Amino acid sequence: MDWGDVNLRRYSKHAKPVLVFALLVLFAAWECEVSLADLANGLRKGLMMINLFFPPDWQAFARMVQPALATVAVAALATPIGAVCAVVFGLAGASNIAPRWLRFTTRSLIALERGIPEIVLLLILVAAFGMGAFAGVIALVIGSIGMLGKLVADAIEEIDARTVDSVECVGATRAQVIRYAVLPQVFPSLVANTMFRFEVNIRASVLLGAVGAGGIGYELTVAINQLEYRKATVAAIVSLALVFLAERGSDILRSRMVAAERLQ
Amino acid sequence: MLSVTNLTKRLANGKTLLNGISFTVQKGEFVGILGPSGAGKSMTLRCMVGLTSVSEGDVMFTGENGKTYRTTAIKGRELRRARRNIGVIFQGCNLVKRLSVIENVMIGRLGRIHPLRSWLYGFTDREAAEAMEALDRVGMAEFASRMTGSLSGGEMQRVAIARAIFQRPLCFLADEPIASLDPKNSFAIMRLLRPLALERPIIGTFHQPEMTARYCTRVIAIRNGTLVYDGDPHLTREQLAEIYSQDDAFEIEQNIVPPALPPLTPALAVR
Repeated sequence: MDWGDVNLRRYSKHAKPVLVFALLVLFAAWECEVSLADLANGLRKGLMMINLFFPPDWQAFARMVQPALATVAVAALATPIGAVCAVVFGLAGASNIAPRWLRFTTRSLIALERGIPEIVLLLILVAAFGMGAFAGVIALVIGSIGMLGKLVADAIEEIDARTVDSVECVGATRAQVIRYAVLPQVFPSLVANTMFRFEVNIRASVLLGAVGAGGIGYELTVAINQLEYRKATVAAIVSLALVFLAERGSDILRSRMVAAERLQ
Repeated sequence: MLSVTNLTKRLANGKTLLNGISFTVQKGEFVGILGPSGAGKSMTLRCMVGLTSVSEGDVMFTGENGKTYRTTAIKGRELRRARRNIGVIFQGCNLVKRLSVIENVMIGRLGRIHPLRSWLYGFTDREAAEAMEALDRVGMAEFASRMTGSLSGGEMQRVAIARAIFQRPLCFLADEPIASLDPKNSFAIMRLLRPLALERPIIGTFHQPEMTARYCTRVIAIRNGTLVYDGDPHLTREQLAEIYSQDDAFEIEQNIVPPALPPLTPALAVR
């Protein structure tokens, strides 16, 4: 009797790929100079160092408030500016709005931007604008455009073409079509994505601070460089709190928005 | 008045979708376009509003002041100027779902207000009041501030009609206005459209000969892109069979109105 090709899960079949993969991992471990002795050593040292970080030096907290606010300010400024620019880029990158060459250029620019990590951007910007929050704001605006611009462009391309047709049929201009048929359709998702991006920007702002944009990230590196580990703990706790609050806050707002939409 | 002359649409591959369609429509007429799926009914309407370019032929609208608007072979500003005189009623799914009902109605007049004003200020209170009147006419005034996406198909179709009324066009074009509606809503929509035709001509595409016979003043039939009938809305069974029989023999049901179903037996009804 012919059963045809029955695919049985015989693990021996996978022996060869598993072997190849294991060899690759071993090679990578050798390349990275992995050594269990070093791991043990490092763990011991690290555990000893934890003592240096605790208890946190809460005296330093008062001096952390202003930098923390600066970190939030960078994200709070960069996110809305980035979102507004992203709408422009999104329109220019949507096939149902923009001509082909413009869409291609915009999409390529966005893709290129997304390939550059914010840290690299900041290092370039610091060379141009000098150290400080302003360079951080610009870096995050560009980063926000990269993410939100793509999302907006994709959202616009998903709009029902017949809706656009029907608004065009009353004799509306291109600008009016964008205002009344395109933007209302993408606005809710833009708001949700912008709130998510704010959260990402807070995290990035802490990190960028460490490499020259000021704020709580800067305080953290300074404290560690000056071997004031207990101060560094406070800075770390403050930045953790910032990220946590931003995440919870945007989460709550987003779920409220979804609930409001359902009620409609 | 509206005249369509020798409307022809050919594709690049040589296929002919519309083949010399001509008709004129006067005030007071409610014209129903019948024909099998893919015959070119919707294509005719799309060509009339300039959504699709035509290969040959002309479409002209004439207003009461004698002004004439052409929608074929024009573009940009001229086309927009012509379009604001045509009230198109698509199937309801073409409304902007994330705007309120009244905003959707007011979109009808975008072609007449300055683009800058529509961006920065929006609509005036007077326009809003007029839009409410239009909504009231279709029985949707109480839904004015609802989000359009939350409406049912029949409700959306009424809003689409209110939008066209608010637009104050020279004529109405309705593309399958009752195609996705249940019978009750279909009758309601037809009853709304009928009196509109007294003010401005309506041209609509339909799939239901019994509806056009009941409400339209005239029927046009298109088959394979060619106009095959133009006249009295009461078509005989033979005429309908002729219209709906495509090249591969398509059997039309003998009775347009199906016979009443036997009443449910008590046992079935309980279940």
